[in-house]
Amino acid sequence: MSEPTSAAPTDSRWDDLARDASLRGDHREEIELLQELLIFEVDDTPYAVPIERVREILRMRPITPLPRVPDLVLGVISIRGEVVEVLDLRRRFGLSPAEPDRRTRVVVIHGFDGRVTGCMVDRVREVLRVGEEEIQPAAEADADTVLGLCKCGDEFVSMLDLDKVLEVGP
Amino acid sequence: MAARRSRARGQTKAQREFVSEAEELLERMQTNLVDLEDQGENDQEVDPELVNGLFRAAHSLKGLAGIFGHDSISSLAHHLEDVLDALRLGRTALGPELVAVLRESVVEFGALLQGLGDAAAEQAAEDKVRGLVVRIEAACRGSAPAEEGFDSLALDPALLRALTEYEEHRLRENLRRGRAILLVEATFEILSFDEGLADLGRAVREVGELLSTLPSPGEAPESQIRFALLVASDVDAHSLRGRLDFPHATVRRVSATEASGAEPASAAAEPDAAVGSPPAPPEGSAVVSKGPSAASAAQEPAPVAAEGAEIESLRSISETVRVDIRKLDELMNLVGELVIQRSAVDSIARRLIAEPGMARIGAELGKVYQGLDRKLRELQAGVLEVRMVPLRQVFEKLSRVARRLRRDLGKEVRLELNGADTELDKLIVEQLVDPLMHVVRNAFDHAIETPEERAAAGKGPEGCIRLDAYQRGNHVVIEVVDDGRGIDPEQVRVRARELGLISADQQITDREAYDLLFSPGFSTRTEVTSTSGRGVGMDVVKANLTTFGGIVDLDSTIGRGTTLTMTLPTTLAIIQALIVGAGDQSYAIPLTSVLETLVIEPEEIQRSDGRELLNLRGDALPLRRLAKEFQMEARPEDAAREFVVVLGLGGSRLGLVVDRLLGQQDAVIKPIQGPVTAVPGIAGATDLGDQHAVLVLDVTSFVEDVHRRREAA
Repeated sequence: MSEPTSAAPTDSRWDDLARDASLRGDHREEIELLQELLIFEVDDTPYAVPIERVREILRMRPITPLPRVPDLVLGVISIRGEVVEVLDLRRRFGLSPAEPDRRTRVVVIHGFDGRVTGCMVDRVREVLRVGEEEIQPAAEADADTVLGLCKCGDEFVSMLDLDKVLEVGP
Repeated sequence: MAARRSRARGQTKAQREFVSEAEELLERMQTNLVDLEDQGENDQEVDPELVNGLFRAAHSLKGLAGIFGHDSISSLAHHLEDVLDALRLGRTALGPELVAVLRESVVEFGALLQGLGDAAAEQAAEDKVRGLVVRIEAACRGSAPAEEGFDSLALDPALLRALTEYEEHRLRENLRRGRAILLVEATFEILSFDEGLADLGRAVREVGELLSTLPSPGEAPESQIRFALLVASDVDAHSLRGRLDFPHATVRRVSATEASGAEPASAAAEPDAAVGSPPAPPEGSAVVSKGPSAASAAQEPAPVAAEGAEIESLRSISETVRVDIRKLDELMNLVGELVIQRSAVDSIARRLIAEPGMARIGAELGKVYQGLDRKLRELQAGVLEVRMVPLRQVFEKLSRVARRLRRDLGKEVRLELNGADTELDKLIVEQLVDPLMHVVRNAFDHAIETPEERAAAGKGPEGCIRLDAYQRGNHVVIEVVDDGRGIDPEQVRVRARELGLISADQQITDREAYDLLFSPGFSTRTEVTSTSGRGVGMDVVKANLTTFGGIVDLDSTIGRGTTLTMTLPTTLAIIQALIVGAGDQSYAIPLTSVLETLVIEPEEIQRSDGRELLNLRGDALPLRRLAKEFQMEARPEDAAREFVVVLGLGGSRLGLVVDRLLGQQDAVIKPIQGPVTAVPGIAGATDLGDQHAVLVLDVTSFVEDVHRRREAA
């Protein structure tokens, strides 16, 4: 795919702007303290990611396995001709794999260099708007993939450090 | 050439290249200047192309000297460029003083080149340059002919406004000389308009000067494009029309005829007619439909057009459109995506046909698919063709290098170049320059013997290096053939043992020995010469070619010469892929790397040292099983047969055993996005139209892996 330029606006330009903004942290501007989070579940546990990092959410489709890669990389899918790797978040969090069902989704996340990665999750729940004050930083005991906790109603949701989640060892 | 210089001053390679390039520009300026003077003496009309040629040469020289920091040359060229520009735009006239200054400047350039690196000479030259610059500036201020308007022309003002200053000047000049100004309008198919336009331009130039080519404001049907050519000629509209082999072209005179005075201005507003029905002739103009008798006149080859592709390509910007290659890439991507969509239609049609009660609809969709497929192929070919450029430019560069090598090495070598019109993707041509240059230098330096050696071997004193380029199927083949001393495979073996590339007791065939020449760091001659570079060997040539899917092979006969064969894909954007199955997956293999596919019986496979081999026409072909390489369960479709895809890369061969052969398909290779940056053995993936990603094998890594292991063994 060619690089989108400001001279030729495309759909993905807005995505890119959003992604860049989120990578720079612009969305945490002082005036606007609200954050939109996508909440999804892995093994009945809710996780949150900033909506700016989410490009799209797909239903399960055939995954082409990649040879010679770690187990948690399920393989690649074709999204309108684009070829994107899919990670199994269950395996990423050290859980046993599960058979995909009708609620299984692939959350396509913006990563570095304009590249995207698919993350297979058990189900997608909702998009939440939360104030900054409802987010507390991670404690020592939390997993290194957790950035902080967010209070949603009466439960706490782990906010994922996507850059850590997308780090795949050799 | 006047500026032959001694090589004793220890100049760098870059400086030598500069001198050689500059000498060439000077040569061109000299030729143009001599012709110009001849025309001036005979009181002929000065050919504008001569002035243009001088202007371009001065411009190039300015840039070149600027890059290398030769300020005197650059400054003189800069002033020459200015005065030549004024001359070509008619702002100044060509008088004896200007001719004299031009001549002296060219001589001075020669002196400047010779004096490079000599401080005293450079100092002396600076003063002379200053003197010349003053005279050039004086010449520049010469009186300009008064400008007249174009009111007398029956021409759409929009067309007039689109003319460049130079084109206006030429129009004015031709009017002054009393030539007829004609407007030729023609409509072309968008897909092939460049060819049609070039043909029309050639035909027009036979009888006159093509002043400008502009898109015509007239309406053209969809998929067609209309152009207006402004022509100055001594013939009238009627006879020009008769010479054109273009059924839909119209010609009318826009300048006043001498007999009838000014044409009615309303002729300019004459509405353009659609193709097929020529417009009603305006009063006093000639619109002639082509008679059959005129065909022979128009089909005569155009002798003028052959006078040099370079001038042709620089002549008029309005005839060609410069396009950023990235824009073409974007177009190509779009076409690639359409190709994918097309395949989706195909697969839906097939599924419908298999569905009870849906067969008829499926068949109808199938027919739609076929129509779509045809048009898409044309579109794809059209877009690919735009990216294609002939090898000519590279060849011209090679002859320049050859000229220099002849001089530097004192060898008599003839360089024959065949197939300069063979076309390749622009990006491939760019990447081809260095490898070709290296191969030709190698041949000059190592392959061709000295005249004495040749005499002793019973050969003529003049060696020959021949480049043959031609299209073979989806590939372009370039053969570099020399009649030099050849390469002794035994010497290669000895050297390979010294270098530890093969073990002391290892026996290799001549072909394998030649393959070793492409190993990193290999060289059969130990001494280093400036001509062939240091340490840069055939391995770099091979590496350069393999980056875009090219293959290189070498064959040689001692005493008779060497043939190096480069096989290159014609384009990079869409590849033909062989689809194979292994385990429960499909994989795409770029067809450029597939030499052949074999169906063999399992008993034919031999084992050596735990590795499988196949005796392929006397050569041992190492085998790898794709399923095993990718840690999958093999699921052969037929236990009694094995399918082997023979992969070739440079001189290396590898047989890939697959479970199934599934056919050929066009594929657009896409990079894989995600955290895993490189997967060994995988070059990317492609979507064959069913929203399912198919991995594309990286043939290089497979073949090289096998060779590394063989070398390690």
